Amino acid sequence: MSFKAYPTTWALHEAVRAAATRWHRRQLLTDAQQVAIEAAYPLDFFRPGWLLRLVLFIFTGIGCATATGFLLMATDTLDSQFSIATGSIICAIGSLATLELTIKNTKPYHAGYDNALLYAALLALLFLGAEALQLLVGTPDLGDITDPPMRPLLLFAGALLAAATVRYADRGVAAAGFATGLLLLANLVLPYALGRALLPFLLMLAAAGTGWLVRHLARRPDYFYYRTCLQTVKALALATFYLGGNYLVVREGNAAIGHLPVAPQIPFAPLFYAFTACIPLAYIYYGLRRHDRLVLVAGLLAAAFSVFTLRYYRTLLPPAVAATLAGALLLAAAAAALRYLRTPRHGLTEAPGDEAAPLFNLESLAVAQYNAPGPAPAAGFSFGGGDSGGGGATGQF
Amino acid sequence: MPTPTEHILADLQARGLLPPAQAAALASYEHQRPFSLHYELRALLYLGVTLLSGGLGVLVYQNIDQLGHGVIVAGIGILTVVCLGYAARHRPAFTWGQAPSPGLLPEYLLLLGCLLFLALEGYLQAQYQLFGTRYGLAAALPTVLFFGIAYGFDHRGVLSLAITALASWVGVSAAPLAAFTQYDFAAAALSIPAAGLGLGLLAVGLWSDVTRHKAHFAFTYISLGGNLALFALTASLFSAYSLPHAVALPLLLAVCASLVWYARRSQSYLFLLMGAVFGYIGVTYLLYEVLGTEIGFLVGTLYFPASAIGVVMLLINMKRLLNITPKP
Repeated sequence: MSFKAYPTTWALHEAVRAAATRWHRRQLLTDAQQVAIEAAYPLDFFRPGWLLRLVLFIFTGIGCATATGFLLMATDTLDSQFSIATGSIICAIGSLATLELTIKNTKPYHAGYDNALLYAALLALLFLGAEALQLLVGTPDLGDITDPPMRPLLLFAGALLAAATVRYADRGVAAAGFATGLLLLANLVLPYALGRALLPFLLMLAAAGTGWLVRHLARRPDYFYYRTCLQTVKALALATFYLGGNYLVVREGNAAIGHLPVAPQIPFAPLFYAFTACIPLAYIYYGLRRHDRLVLVAGLLAAAFSVFTLRYYRTLLPPAVAATLAGALLLAAAAAALRYLRTPRHGLTEAPGDEAAPLFNLESLAVAQYNAPGPAPAAGFSFGGGDSGGGGATGQF
Repeated sequence: MPTPTEHILADLQARGLLPPAQAAALASYEHQRPFSLHYELRALLYLGVTLLSGGLGVLVYQNIDQLGHGVIVAGIGILTVVCLGYAARHRPAFTWGQAPSPGLLPEYLLLLGCLLFLALEGYLQAQYQLFGTRYGLAAALPTVLFFGIAYGFDHRGVLSLAITALASWVGVSAAPLAAFTQYDFAAAALSIPAAGLGLGLLAVGLWSDVTRHKAHFAFTYISLGGNLALFALTASLFSAYSLPHAVALPLLLAVCASLVWYARRSQSYLFLLMGAVFGYIGVTYLLYEVLGTEIGFLVGTLYFPASAIGVVMLLINMKRLLNITPKP
């Protein structure tokens, strides 16, 4: 009996087929081998394109919310606390049972409606836990993160989200779990003056620790099952590490925590200047060296935010002149890099990789607004079975 | 512990699908293959172009006194003529079917030429009041021109521009996003022409698909027209100063039915989705219109969970509904 909700073979089959398609495109596999691999690794689960996933998610959400309303009306008694407790227990059990049964019967794999059912169950359980803890430790002040009664609530939420991530491998739940961990950290250290002073470093430390953990977990044999979760948490850890050391975030955050009207200069300012300047460069360098696209993109975004940080405090040039100069520089640098990397050098190339599509296809987004030259959905395009569903105004062009 | 690639290769070998020598070759390929910066570099390039053109635009605007309007108008005009001229030289012969593509550059220059034409027209209107207050004429000119270009050059992008210009002539904006952001549901007076235009575009789209007159234009017509008609009709359902509900509701359901019919015909799940979602809103509205709010509230507590489940089941089984057969 596995503690994972979905068969691990689904994730493995998906990964093998993706790799095989890449190799086949480069003619490292023969056609016969490709056919044999597709037969040996069937994709017998249901995951449609993102638009349909979104609609399924919304309608399942509506169903859960209205069913909850019906339930609360049906169990309405004079004792409102009892009625709420009964209601949330029934909701949690109901959505969890529905979730498990639908996974068995219709085989969704993060197909929108199973995500919605999972979130509904977790919300009901969180609500139930909050109600129970309220009886034990008193009502927490939700507006104040340092309030001591928040501590058990955050601990409970973190444990619940971690357990759900282990079973369902849902990236939204994983992200919420990471955020809960950070909130718990803030809750623990913020009441103390030393903790307030060290908070940026502690956040960076927590992010670095998470990054190390993600790297370690990525070596496990069940990596494929948790891949999207690990990627999501890694992205969040990268963002936390950078923002924890970013001068603007620290300075304005310090003022916000101390309820100061203007943000004064902070202690250790030169250290944070250095973090703001160096972390993006380090990300970009690491991303290019270790061929890690996530780190590279994080570095590019961080660099843009560092430029914004600089301009927020020091205006060097009028905006129009700065934009013109920066645009010209960027254009020249990108064009030069494109020319330089036309033949692969240092393990880098400008040719499109053999992965299918980029994370965000900006061109297709821009074009979708006008339905411009993209082809109309071809007859017989596949949208079941894990292939990304084309068709529609924002399919693949 | 093995890396993911090693894991995949080991699994393939264990099933006897990959000889060891080939597995070793694949492992070394994975190890040595260069890291593609294709999209990152292009994104930086686009960002550079955007920053440069934006910065230059502001600089030109700030120094307009030294430059003079005539220079700018002449500049835009020359660029427009150059773009359209280049595209005209590569124009494919006219056909009611799909013309062969003349290549990426002529297609994009044609689109750019049309956009520049709009900029030129707007500039002339703003600076010299070329059309005075005859805004209808200002919108009709690009409409006629762009429809001509779209059919003559067989360009779907320009067709979208033409439809948008037509819509602005009618008085609404037809881009799908604009329906969410700009459509003012309070401006009920607009919903009748909007619904009319949407129905008209839908009819043209279905006509061109059924009679094979530029059948590949049908998607553009039906998606823009369908969106517009559905939004306008739904808006008039919730407004007292627009189309009578006895007209709007049957029209809405008819549009949904025709979209579902077309979705089955073209195996497009976008149109099935549009038909299903708006049909759901229409049917729900009808239920409440018939039952009244008091009984409706009681029924609703059961209706909403049940119908949401129904929609989800419908969408999960969509493949069968659209008669999509899996790829061989």
